[in-house]
Amino acid sequence: MEALDRLSQLEADAPARIAAASDLESLAQIEAETVGKRSPLLEIRRGLGSLPDDQRREVGRRVNEVAQLLGSLIAQRRSILETAAMEEALRAEEVDVTLPGRRPPRGTRHLIDSIQQEVVDIFVSMGYTVATGPEAETEFYNFTALNIPYTHPSRLESDTFYLDYGEVPEGTLLRTHTSPMQARYMELNRPPVYIVVPGRVFRRDSDSTHTPSFHQIEGLAVDTDITFADLKGTLAHFARLFFGPDTKTKFIPHYFPFTEPSAEMHAYADGRWLELLGCGMVDPAVFGHVGYDPNQVTGFAFGMGVERLAMVRHGITDIRALYDPDLRILRQFR
Amino acid sequence: MKLTLDWLKDFVDVPVTDPADLVDVFESLGLEVEEWGRIEPTFSGVVVGKVLSVEPHPNADKVRLCTVDIGAEAPSQIICGAWNFDAGAIVPVAVPGAVLQGDFEIGRRTIRGVESNGMICSEEELGLGDDAAGIMVLDGDYPWAAEHIGADLAKLLPFPDAYYDLAITPNRPDCMSVYGVARELAAYYDLDLVEPRTDVTEVGPPSTASITITDADACPRFVAREVRGLVARRSPHWLRRRLQLAGVRPISNIVDASNYAMLEVGHPTHAFDMDRLGDRVVVRHATAGETITTLDGVERTLEPSDIVVADETRPVAIAGIMGGADTEVHDGTSRVLIEAAYWNPPSILLTSKRLGLRSEASARFERGMDPNFCDRAADRVAHLLQELADGAVAPPLVDEYPKPIAPRSILFDVAEVRRLLGIDLTVAEVTDLLRRLGFEVAGDGPLEVTVPTRRPDVTRPADLVEEIARLHGFDNIPDRVRTGTGGGLPTRERKLRKIRDVVVGAGYHEIATFSIIAESDLDALGLPEGNPARDAVAVSNPLNEEERLLRTTLVPGLLRALAVNESRQLKAIRLFEIGTVFMPGSGKLPEQPLRLGFVAGGQPEITWEGQGRTPDVFDATGLWELLAVELGVPQPAVRPHRSPVFHPGRCAEVLAMGTPIGTVGEVHPAVTERFGLTGRVVAGEIDLDELLLERTPWRFEPPSTYPPVIIDLAFAVDDDMPAAALTDTVRRAGGPFLEELTVFDVFAGGNLGQGRKSIAIRLVFRAPDRTLTDDDLVPIRTAIVEAVERTLGGTLRGAS
Repeated sequence: MEALDRLSQLEADAPARIAAASDLESLAQIEAETVGKRSPLLEIRRGLGSLPDDQRREVGRRVNEVAQLLGSLIAQRRSILETAAMEEALRAEEVDVTLPGRRPPRGTRHLIDSIQQEVVDIFVSMGYTVATGPEAETEFYNFTALNIPYTHPSRLESDTFYLDYGEVPEGTLLRTHTSPMQARYMELNRPPVYIVVPGRVFRRDSDSTHTPSFHQIEGLAVDTDITFADLKGTLAHFARLFFGPDTKTKFIPHYFPFTEPSAEMHAYADGRWLELLGCGMVDPAVFGHVGYDPNQVTGFAFGMGVERLAMVRHGITDIRALYDPDLRILRQFR
Repeated sequence: MKLTLDWLKDFVDVPVTDPADLVDVFESLGLEVEEWGRIEPTFSGVVVGKVLSVEPHPNADKVRLCTVDIGAEAPSQIICGAWNFDAGAIVPVAVPGAVLQGDFEIGRRTIRGVESNGMICSEEELGLGDDAAGIMVLDGDYPWAAEHIGADLAKLLPFPDAYYDLAITPNRPDCMSVYGVARELAAYYDLDLVEPRTDVTEVGPPSTASITITDADACPRFVAREVRGLVARRSPHWLRRRLQLAGVRPISNIVDASNYAMLEVGHPTHAFDMDRLGDRVVVRHATAGETITTLDGVERTLEPSDIVVADETRPVAIAGIMGGADTEVHDGTSRVLIEAAYWNPPSILLTSKRLGLRSEASARFERGMDPNFCDRAADRVAHLLQELADGAVAPPLVDEYPKPIAPRSILFDVAEVRRLLGIDLTVAEVTDLLRRLGFEVAGDGPLEVTVPTRRPDVTRPADLVEEIARLHGFDNIPDRVRTGTGGGLPTRERKLRKIRDVVVGAGYHEIATFSIIAESDLDALGLPEGNPARDAVAVSNPLNEEERLLRTTLVPGLLRALAVNESRQLKAIRLFEIGTVFMPGSGKLPEQPLRLGFVAGGQPEITWEGQGRTPDVFDATGLWELLAVELGVPQPAVRPHRSPVFHPGRCAEVLAMGTPIGTVGEVHPAVTERFGLTGRVVAGEIDLDELLLERTPWRFEPPSTYPPVIIDLAFAVDDDMPAAALTDTVRRAGGPFLEELTVFDVFAGGNLGQGRKSIAIRLVFRAPDRTLTDDDLVPIRTAIVEAVERTLGGTLRGAS
């Protein structure tokens, strides 16, 4: 039984050789020599036909048995060697992951715009819409339509930028507030009106708390049954949404030519009471200018300084920082 | 306006124990407290003493030896260096153990061999004034002093006191005085208001002064009172101290009386030296070119719109604003004419504005004083002169009132309270609130409310509602959140947000620059005369002469911002601004388009992988391409462009549907140099109108599941042929199956020949419903090659 002896010999020797294969190449070599084309196994299998019947079965069984055993050992070994090879390849690709990452370029929106958007969104969520008006405005809309008399100090050249444009007596100027849009919007729309007006405004002023231009958000609500209670509640609600749910507010009497009664809202923020915005019930004279009947409708209006909101909430003490283009400032506006 | 609690208490018995409580009360009344503080004595252990005798010091001739009764069993011996008193004077004595300001403790001392038991003090030493020349003699100024020998001085003076600096809103001229503020407090607490003393004893022959008013609209009332026999001297300490605490420098009793009265009752008065003033006083318009030298020593030229007070020969005061130097009260003045007039507010404002001359008086008259208080204002001063300056008040009170101003009456429906405030108040409650403010109320529906003439701000029912709300308390009005009836973000706002997101996402930081620029900014851009950006609207009253133009472009502001960053050693700077520019238009207002401007420049960032890339023109066109896609701009395009601002070979115009809407590129090196910049700078400015429009929503296209066919073509074209011309032609000829077109190589030289370049493009074809075959593609490829040859003169170099 030479064939059976050779099989047993193979069964005894081959596993050690397979286990000793140190790389995929030598394993392939061993595979060829044990179960492959040049192996005793193939030789014996080819010779099966020439064996006597009684031996053929026995040898055939043994051939399959050894082939299966060695095949599985080789597969196992290959898997181990493949894994090791991949691990080594990966090890070669190792990098220092603590090196700075490759950040996609990303800029920042200006804080003024972020705050403006946040305020707008609060009011939009309450059913208001957005209107915007021209920065170069007529004296009529900036002052006259808002019941600001010709003698009012805010009309002085010391306070307002006038333009060499348009015709006297109703010349043009850089709007001193976003309020002109009250009149413009009401002229074009019938009540009810619920709008906010964000925008750039101008005053002839420059120091650590004033820049010649800054931003305001105007609000206007006109309907058949709006009262001072609505004004208080709505603006207090705004303050809570903007500064936090526990924000306290108080309203104190003030004066604006285009509202009556007029008030200032103060909010307790940053550990102190801060003047946050001016507001009031729309003055009947303003309704008169736009053709609304002050006996039929009532309304409230408010205006707040965007820079002020930004400064209060983010601890900015000099307004000029908001107009400094230094990247180290801009990158903080996240 | 600064006032003290002590002074307020002359008119209302303010029921506060802590002056801090009053701050909230002021605020709730609409009197904003800008600043306030407690006023405490800066001394302790100072008593009232009576000087019994004054002897020379045996060993010194600059000081004297006083025996002073300080209420103790035996008088004290005190050495004093001041000479402004004699025996009998009542003086403040710092007894041993007393502490003066600066922790200066007074002890027993021996001066040149004689014991001194304390110190007789000056105003300055006690922190009660700035007089350090002599000791403070109490008995002249404080008649009560003699009865309080030995008493603690701090308890006799108004301590503790407090000052409040109130910001009075321009609608409340009636609150520009102690008396006016006291009236508000009296209304708040529902207390009685004490009236200021205006009683005078008329003596002597009638005054010869006469008043003529030529324009009763400008001057509806002019009251004058003559006071004679005046003796100029220093005002008593209490009055000087009140003036000082109110921020007014005491001068002498005659001048002080007028200032004191104005601070106290609000109504400005003016005292003329009658010996320098003619008898016939005329209120008239100035004549053109007429001059007057005002109290501040400035000669002013008047115009006929100005109102003056004049005598027979010349103007002696600019009405309601400032008196003339000629008739000013001086040390030798013995006879004055006190003027208390009512001036038409706009006329005061006009003159004051024109002359650039503002005074305490003009600030009050331009807001509106009470015409029916003139008589009391004049006699308040007369009363003070009688008390302080031995004045003899001459009869009569001369009162020219050609145009009496009657109190206004308003019909008021109490339902207005509910309609405007959202609260219900009864007729009785409303009546009570208004009466407390001094309004007369009659009837019960509607109410007939008579408004005192001191309140020019109250003319309509809404104004009464404000008064009611104020006194009732804003805090007592409930809060109700009011939601709108519609709302939502308009398209324009949504698009603006998207534009910002895109540009921010591309690495740009938003900035805000000023809208007013300088002519030199336009020079620095290299814009020639006649360039549209030179046609700027000017500000007629700029803050400085240099910056006087409304910006016609965002670029200079951005370049300047870039330079700021570069000078601060910052790298990889990318900035943008969304803002309005201004150009002359055809309507009432300038054209004001909204624009996006951006710049990129500076040294590239250094990382561990090496130096970053310096941006160039393709960063600018790339940003435009991104915006165009994201905002759905129809038919976006780019074409070569020339602009003085930009590099002549690296500048593009961007277009939407064939219309140019912006310019992008690399900034001309001459321009960057003028802005102090180094290296390549990329910039662009795009009109946003087209990008802010509502677009029909994009339609979904299912991606084809069939394999693509990829064809690469390289064309030789003329050197100056824009790549866009080639890609446009290819795209048109490529037909519906052309899914993607990429330029992947551009080069010149080699065997192309002079003036030619090669552009290689990769075309991806795909059909939605089948796999494309050569039968499909051969004709397409032929069509493309033919189109390029025919329209562009390009030749196919090779294919794969």
